[in-house]
Formats: sequence, C-alpha cells, structure tokens
Amino acid sequence: MLTRRRFAQVAAMSSASLALNNGLSAQMTMPPGQPTPSEPPIPANAPPADITLDISPYLLEASSKHRFQTVAYNGQVPGPLLRMMQGRSVTVDIHNHTANPEIVHWHGLFLPVPVDGAMEEGSPMIAPGASTRVTFTPEPAGFRWFHTHTFAGNDLRKGQYGGQHGFLTIEPSGIAESLSQYDREFFLALHDWGGSMEPSGDGSAMPMYEVSTINGKMLGFGEPIRVQQGERVMLHILNSSPTEVHWVALAGHSFHVVALDGNPVARVQTVDMLRLGPAERVSAIVQMNALGVWVLGEVRKHVQAAGMGIVVEYANATGVPKWIQPENLVWDYAQFADGSDTRNNSAQDVIDIPLTFDSKFEGHGNPERWTINGKSYPDTESPVLHAGQRYRLVMNNRSNNDHPIHLHRHTFEVTNVGGTTMRGLMKDVVLIPAMKTSTVEFDANLPGNTLFHCHQQDHMDHGFMMVFRYA
Amino acid sequence: MGGLLLALLFLFTASAHAQGNYEIQVYGADTNPPKDLMVELHSNFTPEGQKNLIDGVYPTNHQEHETIELTEGLTSWSEIGFYIFTSEQNGHGVQWVGDHIRPRVRVPDSWHWPVGVSLSTEVGYQRAVYSPDTWTWELRPIVDKTIGRWYFAVNPALERTWHGPDVAQGIGFAPGAKIGYDFSKVVSGGFEYYADYGSITAPDTLHNQQQQIFAVTDLNVSPKWEINFGVGIGPTAGTDHLIVKGILGRHFDWGHHSAVD
Repeated sequence: MLTRRRFAQVAAMSSASLALNNGLSAQMTMPPGQPTPSEPPIPANAPPADITLDISPYLLEASSKHRFQTVAYNGQVPGPLLRMMQGRSVTVDIHNHTANPEIVHWHGLFLPVPVDGAMEEGSPMIAPGASTRVTFTPEPAGFRWFHTHTFAGNDLRKGQYGGQHGFLTIEPSGIAESLSQYDREFFLALHDWGGSMEPSGDGSAMPMYEVSTINGKMLGFGEPIRVQQGERVMLHILNSSPTEVHWVALAGHSFHVVALDGNPVARVQTVDMLRLGPAERVSAIVQMNALGVWVLGEVRKHVQAAGMGIVVEYANATGVPKWIQPENLVWDYAQFADGSDTRNNSAQDVIDIPLTFDSKFEGHGNPERWTINGKSYPDTESPVLHAGQRYRLVMNNRSNNDHPIHLHRHTFEVTNVGGTTMRGLMKDVVLIPAMKTSTVEFDANLPGNTLFHCHQQDHMDHGFMMVFRYA
Repeated sequence: MGGLLLALLFLFTASAHAQGNYEIQVYGADTNPPKDLMVELHSNFTPEGQKNLIDGVYPTNHQEHETIELTEGLTSWSEIGFYIFTSEQNGHGVQWVGDHIRPRVRVPDSWHWPVGVSLSTEVGYQRAVYSPDTWTWELRPIVDKTIGRWYFAVNPALERTWHGPDVAQGIGFAPGAKIGYDFSKVVSGGFEYYADYGSITAPDTLHNQQQQIFAVTDLNVSPKWEINFGVGIGPTAGTDHLIVKGILGRHFDWGHHSAVD
C-alpha cells in the first residue's frame, strides 16, 4: 500500500497562523534503547501529494497573556482539518522541520503497520529535517484524528503535550442519515497547556496544567461559534489533552449524541453534558433554539477558569456570554449501548486475554511506573493473535487512576465498564474506571503488530504499553 | 564568676528549648488548601534533659509536651496557624504554657519556581516558668525540593525576643533542615536537624549552641493524615540529650465541595 497511489479529491483546509522558526532544543524523542527506523524519502520526480503536513515549531497564543512555544502541523493549532473519502486512496507528504524525530499516528483508522504511525509497531520515524510520503486507503468512515506518537518523558512540551493534533473526518461512501441531518458543523479540540509535574494526592508526581483551551484559545480569546436560530449544528469534539479527562456542557442547550469515537452509537441519546477521556471523540447535534450568547465550556469550575471554553453566538444576539453551572458530573457509556449483555459468548467464541494494570511507586517526586501483568514496556508481554478470532480483553485496573485505553488499527466493542455490561458500543478508546474490571472485545482482522496502551502521555512514557502480534 | 556563667548557660538552654521542644518540625513549603483545617498533635518527651530548676524555669527532664496546632488554609498560597502549648511533668501536673499564631505565605504554583518557597512569621507568648523570654517572634523562610525519592527542606529561621532576658541578644539564628528518602509509597525515613546558634551577630560557641539531630520516619498512609515520629539526640551541653517526638495530624475539609468545584 505504501507504493500505491491514486489521486483523490480531498480537501485539506488550513488557516493562517503565526509560525516561528526558532526551534525547540534537540532532545531524545524516544526512550533509550528503542530502534529508530526512518521513513523512506519522497522520490524527486513524485507527483504532488493530496495533503501536505509540515511539522514545525510554533508559538501558540492561547490569550494575550498566555503563550506557549510548541510544535504544530501547518502552523496552526489544531492542525488542518483533513477530509478524506472512505475507501479512496490518499497520499500525504509529511515534512519534519523540527530538530527531533517525528511520527504521525492516524488515530482510529484500519491501516497497515508502516502507515499507522507507532514506532512500537514498527512504523518508521521521520528524521529531523526529513520528509516522507504515506499512501493509504482511509477506513472506517467517521470522525478520526491524527497526532504525534513520540516519547515526551519529563519534557512536558513534547509529544501530545504540544500542539501536534488535528481533525480527520472520513466521509462515508454512502451517506449515513443520522450523521447528515445538520445545517452546519464545527470541530472542537480540548487541550491543556503549560504542564509541570507536581505531587498529587495519591503520592506520586503527575502533570498539572496552567491553561486549558478549546481549539488553542482560552475562553474569550478565540472566534465564537456563530449559529443561526433554528439550525441543527453538528459538533465534533475531540479531547486531545495529553492526560486530562474533560466534561463539557453548552449552557442552555443539550447534546444529541450520534457517534462516539466516530462510530454511530447503538442508541442515540440527548444529554446535558459530555465526558471525554484523552483521545475520545463525541459527535453530537445541537438544536439551536435558545437565542442568545452562550458559553460552551468545561463543567468543572477551575478548568473553565483556566480557559477551557468557547462562546456560542446566535446571529443578531448580543450580550455577555451566559454560563449555567451544572451541579454534578454525569456520564454513562451504557446509555449509548444496546443494553445488558444477552448474548452467550462461550469460550469457543471469544478468547479471553487477562490484563492487570498496576503501578509501582518511584518516589513522591517521580511519576509511577506502570505495569501490565506486572511488566512495563518494553518488557511487557506480546500476546499472539490469530486472524479471524475474536478476543476479549479482560482489564483488571488495580490502580487508583481511570485509564483511557486505546487499541491501534482496530475498533473494539465495549462490553463491560466497571461491572456494567453492554453491547453495541464501538470505540477505539474507552475510559476504564479505577479499581474495577472492564472488558472490550475485538475481531483480529488486520494482521500486523498492534499497539495497545493507555492514552495518557505520562502513562505511555512510563511503561503502560504492549504490542499484540499476529501469528 | 564561673557559677554565674553556668547559670547563664542553663538559662540560655531553657530559653532555647522553650519553643523548639513544643513543636519540633521542619516545615515544607506547601500551605494548607483553603477551606481545610489541619489539626496536629505534637507529642514530645524528654527522657534526658535539664534536671535543675534554673532561675525559676522548670527543668526539662521528663517533661511531656503536648501541643495542638490548628492550621487553616486561606488561599491557595496562604494559611494561618495557631498553637496551644502544654506541659505535663511529675510534680507540676498539666500546665498551659502559651500560645502562638503563625501566618504563612508561599510562592504560588503558577510561578513555576524550581523549588518550593514559603515564608512564615510566628508571634507568641509563653509563661515565664517555662521560658523567661515570654514574648517572642520568629521569621522562618522555607525552601524545599523533591527529587525522585529524595526530599530536602531547609528552614533558616530568625528569632527575636520581645520580652525577656534575650531581648539584648538581638536577632538569633535557629536553622532547621530535613533530608528524607521514600522507602515505599507509605514509609519515608530520614534525618532532621535543629539548631540555635544564638545571636546572628555574635554566635555562641559550639559548646553552648543548641544542636539536635533526629532520626525520623514519615508514614504517608493517606492524604488526610500526617504521621511523623522521631528520636533525637543533643550532643552539645546546651541541648537536651535525648528527645522523642511524634506528630499526628489530620485534615478536616469543612467547605462545601461538589464534583464540579
């Protein structure tokens, strides 16, 4: 697939943003001891690509008083909105203008290992100053995203702590009715900036942030979402935060949730707030029937005070943006599923893979070392999958943290979250609760190394990863 | 002349111990969060201390000091503490010794300093039978740092007597320091050092300085609890030779907190 290329009618939208050329200091991008295979260069006589991604240093201005030196795609945060057609091949040129090796992960797509963008699977890195070309056929349809997949370690400006994230929407070859019934759509990315490792209540250091943003701007400093009375507005919301779970609400309105992680939900539900773990996405339609100027923002007061919010402004409406403070945090995966598990999956149907998550104390001034079945990456086990077989990951989370668990290159069905059984909820990230057991099932239908990890950057960097291999 | 010097030495010793042996603690830079009351009980026993009544000041030998410390967080960077000192000793019963008040501010997290820094000031009264210096003031800078499993803290405190024999001494220098190591998530161990060098402009001789070193352990059983235990020795003549100390503290969150706060 790397060598195959067809032209596609794909729009790569980008907006002008301030881009500076003062590079970040050159530091290790991967853990010591990891191989660094490099992407092949772009042939000199190659035809133009459908999409170009330039990875460059960037000065993010979250507000007039909050600036962060980071790295971004095409000189903007979030990166350009990429639109692709399901099943239609697309070619992307990626230029790494930074001093560090980079890699782009296409999150939620069914891609072969060389393209997926995870060095742990064997995807090649892009050397500093180098360029590469990837060609792939986007599957499945839905709201996906792309982001860096590098090691950050103690540098809380690198990896997913920085600005390398962007929206990717794959239009279905046949228009799905539930996703097309809207007048306007907006893409929103929740992110946290200015992290520092601070002691936490449970005894180990963890990232704390100075600023939280939506689409790179603090509340009051970005362009508002402009809508018309009576419109149905589709909001595609991505939590690109390196480590934080976020709850969002739109004052005076509710969300008609139609898809989670880009996959249509089994039961469409209307809710007052959304919860998104790191890397989770929600697609929800909002009926604009409350004329006024409102705040869409983080429900928790201190996070909204740190900037996570955006103004929603009706045409011909004026006034101070209004926020209505919810009193509780409410979210339940099961409401979007088919209900309790009534199927009888015997041992012959599904093979269990037991996984126990735990951590080892490394001192109050250090993050914890994370383990899966007692071992930290790169020493974690590599279970062997057989193509065509269905597997159940039985995840016993013995830690005090919730974890956004992500499986590369596959979609899984969430079947149990902390004791609540369900069916029909298809995702690629699920936030599993602390001190409980949760399960997901997936069909091993895409041979190749498959990375499984917690999507919190600090947990990934400290051992919370493993690679499934196909027989 | 020699007797007078000896008497002055004992007087200094009793004075120097009057505050320190009621609350033996090296401060960390963190302050208590707002709407949170920290209640601590400091229990200090002197198995081997000063055995003589000097100039009306009770001997420290076999004194049991119980101090209640109440610390209320004001903002994310400030707090105020209040102390009630008591002493129990055979022949004297349980006695109220005095009270102190201690406001403290710290460098906010948003400043991103590489070390924790705070500054406390403590003003208080203690009865003359426990300390001839009845009104005292202390200014205590606090610097700390956690590096991996190691913890370091220094408290280069300055003291001033407002009423009592040591008024003429001027500003005294009474530093404290701590080094700790996390053996596990729950158990930390290390050493604490306390000293009183006397006047900052004319320090006492080493023989007459107060020097104490404690082997301590901290038990981090819960964010709500603080447990510290230590045994200290004083190698100089101006110091009680053996002290056992313990701190038991608990946070009481009295504010209304909902999930969205």
